[in-house]
Amino acid sequence: MSNVLRPYLAAVRSTLTAALTLEDFSSQVVERHNKPEVEVAVSKEVLLNPLTISRNENERVLIEPSVNSVRISIKIKQADEIERILCHKFTRFMMQRAESFIVLRRKPVKGYDISFLITNNHTDTMLKHKIVDFIIQFMEEVDKEISEMKLSLNARARVVAESYLSAFNV
Amino acid sequence: MAPIEVVSLSQQSPVTCHAFNADRSQIAVSLNSNEVRIYARQGNDWNHIDTLSEHDKPITSIDWAPKSNRIVTSAQDRNAYVWQQTPDPQTGNVIWKPTLVLLRVNRAATFVRWSPNEDKFAVASGARAIAICSFDPEGDWWVSRLLKKPIRSTVLSVDWHPNNVLLAAGSADMKARVFSAYIKDVDKRPAPSVWGEKLPFNTICGEYASPSGGWVHSVGFSPSGDVLAFASHDSTINIVYPGGPAIYTIKLAILPLVTLTWATEETIVAAGHDCQPLVFGGNQGGWELNGSLDDVHSNKSSGGSRSGFGGASPVGRLNSAAFNTFRNAAERGISNVPGSPTTSSSTESEVFTVHQNTITSVRPYAGVPRQITQVSTSGVDGKLVVWDVNAVTPISATGLAGKLGKLQVR
Amino acid sequence: MEVNFRKIDIDQYDEDALLYNELYDTDPRDPAQALDDTKQNAAAVRGSLARNDYVGALTLVLENAPYGPNVEEAKNLNLQTLVTILNSTKGTDIPGIVKALSADAQDTLMKYLYKGMALPGWGDVSGSVLLGWHEKLTEVAGTGCIVRAMTDRKLV
Repeated sequence: MSNVLRPYLAAVRSTLTAALTLEDFSSQVVERHNKPEVEVAVSKEVLLNPLTISRNENERVLIEPSVNSVRISIKIKQADEIERILCHKFTRFMMQRAESFIVLRRKPVKGYDISFLITNNHTDTMLKHKIVDFIIQFMEEVDKEISEMKLSLNARARVVAESYLSAFNV
Repeated sequence: MAPIEVVSLSQQSPVTCHAFNADRSQIAVSLNSNEVRIYARQGNDWNHIDTLSEHDKPITSIDWAPKSNRIVTSAQDRNAYVWQQTPDPQTGNVIWKPTLVLLRVNRAATFVRWSPNEDKFAVASGARAIAICSFDPEGDWWVSRLLKKPIRSTVLSVDWHPNNVLLAAGSADMKARVFSAYIKDVDKRPAPSVWGEKLPFNTICGEYASPSGGWVHSVGFSPSGDVLAFASHDSTINIVYPGGPAIYTIKLAILPLVTLTWATEETIVAAGHDCQPLVFGGNQGGWELNGSLDDVHSNKSSGGSRSGFGGASPVGRLNSAAFNTFRNAAERGISNVPGSPTTSSSTESEVFTVHQNTITSVRPYAGVPRQITQVSTSGVDGKLVVWDVNAVTPISATGLAGKLGKLQVR
Repeated sequence: MEVNFRKIDIDQYDEDALLYNELYDTDPRDPAQALDDTKQNAAAVRGSLARNDYVGALTLVLENAPYGPNVEEAKNLNLQTLVTILNSTKGTDIPGIVKALSADAQDTLMKYLYKGMALPGWGDVSGSVLLGWHEKLTEVAGTGCIVRAMTDRKLV
């Protein structure tokens, strides 16, 4: 992991660990219901202060904790137009497959590229520190993935240009 | 010190709560479902002998009265049942027979405890109320009276004072309170105590806010009943001496505690999201963290190995590397498989405690009320563990010094 | 007749429900006085910084920090003063300074770090300074400190 990225991911990891202190909490507004309080946001006292961790304007994570659910939204680095397109395609691809990803939210929170919703059901059935590992790994991989795609896109463009221009290179 | 006994009751689901019978030969647990399962000890094994199913939503709390051998259960379906062993009229077998309790609350019941005399029980609920239930022989049912004011949010836990009248409650409105739950037909007039002299129903004898605004997860009276402890979600544990207006607050450097029990008049065992039971000691002069019952060092060599994520995944096909981590995370307990190849990557974290996930309940196991010698804990990882209260590992020796270093008494 | 009756939020009429403003503590000082105090602090901090007394400077800013909804001006000023201190410390000094702070000051510092990171387009705070402090503070004060930054409604 690059040295620049480390404090950022360390901050996300510790904040996420602190936020993933969830418990079963059935709704006090609607009887016999049990829903993620961070999404319904009716009972103010079970919501906690949302925290932001940012490296710079373009890379930030928003963590919104509540008594039985945490919403994590990630803004992925997009340096130029190509990265913006790739990032959009990539997150869209993921979110269309949200069922198999379990913790992925189908829509990102406004201002962010991708959001996760972790509820007490997830922390009950999975090991807590593994979920944190997963989110951190996702953040590491997604940057790598996008720059890799960008490279191969550029390489492909060069090959296409070369083979096109070779027609004139008699 | 290593724990005395570790029982893995479930691989797949959390143990929501547990309650032992009087001689500790049987245990009632809820595995995050709408059924209560009763296990009986047979040698070193626990065998599933009975299932109590009447609730239709997940069970939140169980309490087993030691003297009268009755079980009371509460669940998110807004109901509570009292279970009593009676012979089945047809077969003659002894079965657990449920009696519905008229709780009169319209939200989930979250917590239930028998009073010390076992003639009443208190049911905490999400309806911003606590139902105090007593038996009405004429109607042959359990009737309730509600403690309502001034509770403003879901009540998360309750604890009875030894005098059978006072009740402490912790709730999500960030307050711990002490109420009078005096019921005329059941109780004798209580002797005056530090909490007050005249105590009609719903008298508020004390109200204490958590210092940094966390939900109060757990409350507990000391064995004498003169001191109140509560743990809240801001990672603090607070000990209240109502006589001298002193509140001792210990700010912890770890994740919040969610459950506590008094071992002696000067010792508290508490546990929570940090997966290990901690011991606090003190008296009127001040309180401090003594250490942990879980020796994190000794576990490291034995249970710390882990499988999964073995193959090095060099550059990121996201759907292989990250998905794999996710799949591994989804398969619970995989980190416990002994003898599996250990791949320690700097980015992967491990948990070295006996409990691999949040401890949700700690209860006295052996000893007499003023001198508890063993406690039992159960947690989200499906384990039930019995600990020796006196085998405290000082925190500095467990290598958590940096993690737990900052304590402060207010 | 109102046709959208299904859209009426009846829960807001539940008188037992906790309201947003009941959750928040407000600073006992009135806004003008809080601003005054903060200004005096800022001046004192400059003095401490001149003497290289970083712990003293931080303590000045973090103890009696303005909080709550109606002292915005004082809160912003205090954040600026804090950021000056954070920017002027060397990375190697941070662990020592953090350890010397009281537990309450550590909690408040954590709140300010998150506040700084949440501000959009915050020019003179580079994220890396705040992240560096966050890392060191977490090492000393633990995840409990972060939990308190989430639970405490006394927003700085």
